[in-house]
This record gives sequence, structure tokens and C-alpha cells, in this order.
Amino acid sequence: MNYQFNWSVLWSGQSGGWLLRGLGTTLALSGLAWLVAVALGIVSGAMRTVPWKPLRVVATFYVEFFRNVPLLVWMFFWYFGVPPLLPLAIREWLFDHGAEFWAGMFALGVYHGARMSEVIRSGIQSIPKTQFEAAVAIGLTTFQAYRLVIVPIALRLIVPPATSESLNLLKNSSVALTISVAELTFQTRQIETYTARAIEALTAGTVIYLGLCVGIATIMAHVERRFAIPGLIARGG
Amino acid sequence: MRRILAGLLTLGLPLSVVSPALAQQSTLEKIGQSGVLTIGTRTASPPFAFVNKQNEWVGFSIDLVEQGVKPAIERKLGKPIKLEKKESTPPTRIPLLSSNAVDLIAGTMTDTRTRRESVDFSLTFFVTGAQFLVKKGSPIKSIDSIAGKRVAAQQGSTNARIIRERVPTAKLQEFPDQPAAFQAQVDAYTNDGIQLYGLKAKAPKPDDWVVVGDFFSYEPYGMAMRKNDSDFRHAVNVGLMELIESGKYFELYDKWFGPKSETPYPLTAENKRFLIMQVVPK
Repeated sequence: MNYQFNWSVLWSGQSGGWLLRGLGTTLALSGLAWLVAVALGIVSGAMRTVPWKPLRVVATFYVEFFRNVPLLVWMFFWYFGVPPLLPLAIREWLFDHGAEFWAGMFALGVYHGARMSEVIRSGIQSIPKTQFEAAVAIGLTTFQAYRLVIVPIALRLIVPPATSESLNLLKNSSVALTISVAELTFQTRQIETYTARAIEALTAGTVIYLGLCVGIATIMAHVERRFAIPGLIARGG
Repeated sequence: MRRILAGLLTLGLPLSVVSPALAQQSTLEKIGQSGVLTIGTRTASPPFAFVNKQNEWVGFSIDLVEQGVKPAIERKLGKPIKLEKKESTPPTRIPLLSSNAVDLIAGTMTDTRTRRESVDFSLTFFVTGAQFLVKKGSPIKSIDSIAGKRVAAQQGSTNARIIRERVPTAKLQEFPDQPAAFQAQVDAYTNDGIQLYGLKAKAPKPDDWVVVGDFFSYEPYGMAMRKNDSDFRHAVNVGLMELIESGKYFELYDKWFGPKSETPYPLTAENKRFLIMQVVPK
């Protein structure tokens, strides 16, 4: 009754092509969602620290609302909930142009933007207040102080947690299969459908995710070293 | 990099060693020891296996196990056993079996030659075929009219595969859950005909929906179990044969698919004959 592994299902037939296509979709989905998440994260993270209450309230609302609802619910919301609210012409156009993909991308990007925001806020708040005061004292406006001094320093400080968050985003992109986005995990299931070989297919998926994440982590480690400001951070080794 | 690879290999090694070791025991021995028969079944595939309004996990497939398969195993083991149900879906059911998490898949699994390379099947306990569920008045009448249309299917089902092969121009969307696929904004939803009737019956306004088209696939349902365990397979088959022979099967059929049930699905004379012919002499 031993399980007979049959790894050849991964490269025979269409499996290889499916895995590659799934990988492409996962990368596109995560890449675009990451851009959305970083943009939203920087803006709302900075807004949560500015000395003007209405901005802080808006940003806090965004963060708490989006990060405290499960990602799966957001997927369903953007896919099942939003399109019926749109005018018919736009809806039809969307459904002809990969509505599933865009719904998944927004769900992922907006959800992770809220989480990224907290990472960026903690980076900003770890910068001594005197930095901001010094920036303002030399004649910068608040916006300029953030854009030219605070945010650039904060982004350097948060590389390690932001990397973790980015890897989470990549792995969470698999939730998009619930709204029929043919990403990597979806394709491993597809292979299972055709070959009844779930363990082999899942292993292939796992190894690809692992490879991607290790790759990204390595790149980010280089980025961290490359952009470090000498003397700013005490580092061990 | 080489060190990372070596690390991964050592992580992977125990996994491949452990699984055969666990699998030494036969399924009947395992059930005899634990006193529990664990089945993998569905939660949202009425009327085969679903959670009803009273929050009970019931259905035709579950009745077949409770009233046929379980008694047959109990007789074989000479002691009463308990039945435990676990959720299984098309992508998880074969792994659940091979990892010993469940002993039998009793839901809506189609017996196919590809699947028989990984698992063994009982005799066929239900016969259906794929059709389409559409809104009333839809132009879709059969598989011949879905080119260019948005069609939802359940991922991991045989239907999706057939559509992809026969009508590659159809825009196929695959969802892991039946309810999600049903709610997707598509022109048609395809699944095995009997399941579509089940979904239609559970819809808020059943009259808004129609099931259309001839069967475009042949879907014989069987119960799946781990490969090469013929004693267990025989016990399961004996249980099913006794149900058919005693007429109990047809009573259960009437309960779930009869004219008074939520999903009337008459048993054709041909299918009835087929079921009876599967029963071998004592």
C-alpha cells in the first residue's frame, strides 16, 4: 500500500507548461499587488504620523478596516461584490479582460497595503523626532520633510520587516485561486485533476514558492546592505 | 546555494521514509484497531453529502455508508465501529486517502481510468453526466452553444477538463467551491447533472434556473480507497451489493431522488439494470 511517487507527471504532457504559466500569473499578480501595497503603505503609513488629525484618522480607518478582515473575504468582495455596482458597460468590459485577475490584484494590494502601512509607520516612528524638527528648521515644509528626509530614512530601516511582508504577499496570492485566477497553486491542482497525482504536484508548487521567496529574500538582503546609511544603524556583522 | 539544497534534501527525506512505514497496516486492521471508519465526504454537494438546514451532515452517499458499508465492515471485523466524517474536496480527496487521514471517499467522485492509477474504486453507485445550469431564457442550450461564453466549473472536476478539450474557445472559470462558482457572474455553470439539480433546489428562487443540455460526459460515481487493499475493497463492495440486492438502495434512492424529494431525479430502467447487474452471486 506504499505511495508510489511518479515525478514524471511534472514534465510529461502539459504539466510543465501549466506550472510555467501559473508561475507567470503568480509573479504578475504579486508584482502589481506589491506596487499597490507599497504605494498605499507609504502614503497611509506617513499619514498616520503627520501632525494633522484628519489625515491620521483617514489613514487609521484604512489600516484597521482592511487588515482586520480576512483576505479571503476581500477576494470575494472585490470579485463578487464590486462588479455589480459598476455600470453595465464597464462590467462587461472587465469580464472580457480578466476581471478575476484585477479583483485578485486589488484584494491583495489593498489588504497588504494596510499591513505595509504599519511596517512603514513603525519605521517612521523609530526616527528621532529631532530629525523632523531639524528638517523643518532648515525651511522645509512638512511634505518636503517627509519626502526628502523622513520617508527615505524610514524605508531603509524597514527593509527586513518589509521583506517578510512582501513574501507574505507573494504566498497569499494563492488565495486568488478561490476566485478562479489560474496562478501557481491553481495549476498544481490542475495537474492533480489530470494525473490524480496531488503530492507530486503540490511538492512542485512548494519548491517553486520556496525558490521564489529565498530568491527575493536574498535580493532584499543585498538591497539592505547597498542602501544602508553608514553610522545610522547599529549592525551585528 | 549547495548548502541550502543539502538542507532541503534532509528535510524532504524523512517525509518520504515515514509515509510507507505508516502504510504497512491494512485498512481493515486499522479500522479494527481504532474502532473508527473515517470517510471523506462533501459539505455542499446536495443531495449526496451536505449540511442541511438542521445543521446535520447528511446525504445519499452518507446513507449508503451508514446502512451498507459500515454494517458489512462490522460483520467482517466482528465488532461495532464508529463512523467519522471529514470534509474532502476534489483536490484534497486523493491526498487524504494516501496520507491515511480517511479510509474511504464517499461523496461525488467520478471513477476514471487516470484516478484508478492512484486509488481503487468500489462498484458504481450512481450514474450521471455533465450538463449546464443557466438562468431561465438563456441562449445556452448545450455544449454546442458555449463557444465564447463565460462558463464556470468546479476545479478538479472531470467536466472542466472536457470543456477545455472540446470547446477551447469557451471562457472557462474554475472555482474550488461549488457555491462560489454558482454565484460567479457567468453565462452558465457546469457540473454533473444531478448536482445541478441539487444546487437549483437550494437556490433562493429555484424557478429562475434551468438545467439544460444532453449529458456531455459519463460520470459513474464510486467510493475511492487506498490502492491494493482488496480485503477492504471487497467489504465495501459487499456492503453496496447487499443494499442493492435487498432493495434498500432503491428506498434510499427514493428518499433522496424520488418525486417527493427536493431533487427529483428518476432512476432510468437502464441505470437500474446496470446497478443490479453489478451484484455478483453470493
